[in-house]
Amino acid sequence: MAWLDATGVQVQIRGREILHHADLRVERGRVVVLVGPNGAGKSTLARTVAGLQPLTGGGVAWDGTPIAELSSRKLALLRAFVPQHAPVPAGMTVREAVELGRSPHVGPLQRPTAKDAGVVDAALDRVGLGPFATRQLATLSGGELQRVRIAVAVAQASPCVILDEPTSSLDLGAAAAVGRLLRHLAADDFAVLVVLHDLALAAAVADDVVVMHHGRTVASGAAADVLTKERLAGIWQVDAELTTSPGGATGLHVDWLAPPALDPTHHPLDAWETTA
Amino acid sequence: MVLARRSTVLLGGSGLLVAMALLSLAVGAIGIPLKEVVDGLLGKHVSTEVHEIVVNLRLPRTVAAMIVGAALAVAGVLLQGALANPLASPDVIGVTGGAGFGATLLLLALPQYQALVPVGALVFGLLAAGIVLMLGSTGPRGGSVERVVLAGIAIAALFSAGTTSLMVAYPDRVPAAIGFIAGGLVSDGWASSTQAAPYIVAGLLGAIALTGPLDRLALGDDVAASLGTRPRTVRLLAGVCAALLAAGAASIAGLLGFLGLIVPHLVRLASGTGSHRFLVPASAIVGAAVLLLGDTLARVVAAPIELPVGPLMVVFGVPWFLVLLRRAV
Repeated sequence: MAWLDATGVQVQIRGREILHHADLRVERGRVVVLVGPNGAGKSTLARTVAGLQPLTGGGVAWDGTPIAELSSRKLALLRAFVPQHAPVPAGMTVREAVELGRSPHVGPLQRPTAKDAGVVDAALDRVGLGPFATRQLATLSGGELQRVRIAVAVAQASPCVILDEPTSSLDLGAAAAVGRLLRHLAADDFAVLVVLHDLALAAAVADDVVVMHHGRTVASGAAADVLTKERLAGIWQVDAELTTSPGGATGLHVDWLAPPALDPTHHPLDAWETTA
Repeated sequence: MVLARRSTVLLGGSGLLVAMALLSLAVGAIGIPLKEVVDGLLGKHVSTEVHEIVVNLRLPRTVAAMIVGAALAVAGVLLQGALANPLASPDVIGVTGGAGFGATLLLLALPQYQALVPVGALVFGLLAAGIVLMLGSTGPRGGSVERVVLAGIAIAALFSAGTTSLMVAYPDRVPAAIGFIAGGLVSDGWASSTQAAPYIVAGLLGAIALTGPLDRLALGDDVAASLGTRPRTVRLLAGVCAALLAAGAASIAGLLGFLGLIVPHLVRLASGTGSHRFLVPASAIVGAAVLLLGDTLARVVAAPIELPVGPLMVVFGVPWFLVLLRRAV
């Protein structure tokens, strides 16, 4: 049984249908990457399966239990969510932030135990922030803050981690570090669902790639089978090709200046291009 | 380093609180040696006059100052944390405006019910906060922090207009309301403290229970929700507890909202932490000590005339606060 099973998910926000029909399955020990153009509904789908956005149709089940039957606390023991952006509170150290990840395991009138402290230490080490434990969050770089957010999710020790565009504001090295971390989490039997814009990174880290377009999941499978030249042209409106070297290095060769294919699903920015 | 600073703030605040409590019992129109104050408190033999002044006259006022100072400071911590806004104080959710109107209504329009002023302040303070929280946390998109703040400004303006209208309508009775609006403690025994105690105790217990959820909220609504916390529920409960604390405080000592803004910041700047598990108890202690200091100064600076403690604390507190702010931010 899949750890996360979502079928026919529909979501309306302020009367507008954002997700029309989305299917998603994530199993433990695997990395599933959601890709698609801007506005395709990737983040909405990630937030909806995480329970942060209400469904208007379809179903989401965690470990076989429909999400509507799960309390907030119970859901927190099944999945952790790492947002794309989050405030950086003043006067909070890295360790204090990661300790909050243990909240679902600590009762309202209880104090964290030695076991909780051990899990926090392990989470800090897992993301390479051990030496930063006493640093104030406000003194960290964007990449370091992203690792703190992932450490909070690791300390939460839920079997699934959902990440919404964790590399969107990171430099190349920091993005690669996040990519390696995602693979390590899968190796530790976490189910990982991640929204990514970088298709080369997606191809490198994914066991399965799920493509979204206009609020629907339109394809899923291995990156090489899903991110074909034809699909990149049809959905992203670019002349591009995904390549993988024998050593596993991935690349996206893009003819940046080629005119977009004439397709009824043209890119919104093309309107600007034709009128400029 | 941070731990050492926290310990210093807690120990320093507690020491200041004890010292100020003893001082407030000792000084006044008749000075009483500290030893006799302590003996009187411990039930040892002291003269009837000392017992009357320390235990029956000054002790209720000292305890009231501690309760009000702690309540306002904790209300400020709750609102600043829940609204993620460093400018939040009990004024923001309309409590101060509502309490001011309630007290002024009774003092000016219904002076025959003057004894009910604390009740009027409490009821109208809670009513104003109730309207603000209802407007801010309901509606088509489930409410928002911005709506709470804007509703608070509107409701506070409404009640302020009501207060001003009452003053215009009853100009000869305005002096009776000045003391309440300026904020200050009076020596009227245990009556007003006893009346407000249930609300303030409920607010303080709620604040203690909310320290963990507010810490999670500091990491953002999505992370808090990921950790099993319901951000809207936490905000609403924090608003309710802050309203109970601030309305209870206003019913004892009038409008001293500035204390709720400044004390949490002082504690944050001095301790270097934003953890609510620390801020709630530390702000309660420091808030109690600061109001005791302000009230004692108000009684002795221009004795035998008693100055209004609200403006006095603002005049003394703002420069000190600005110096700390300049160093820290």
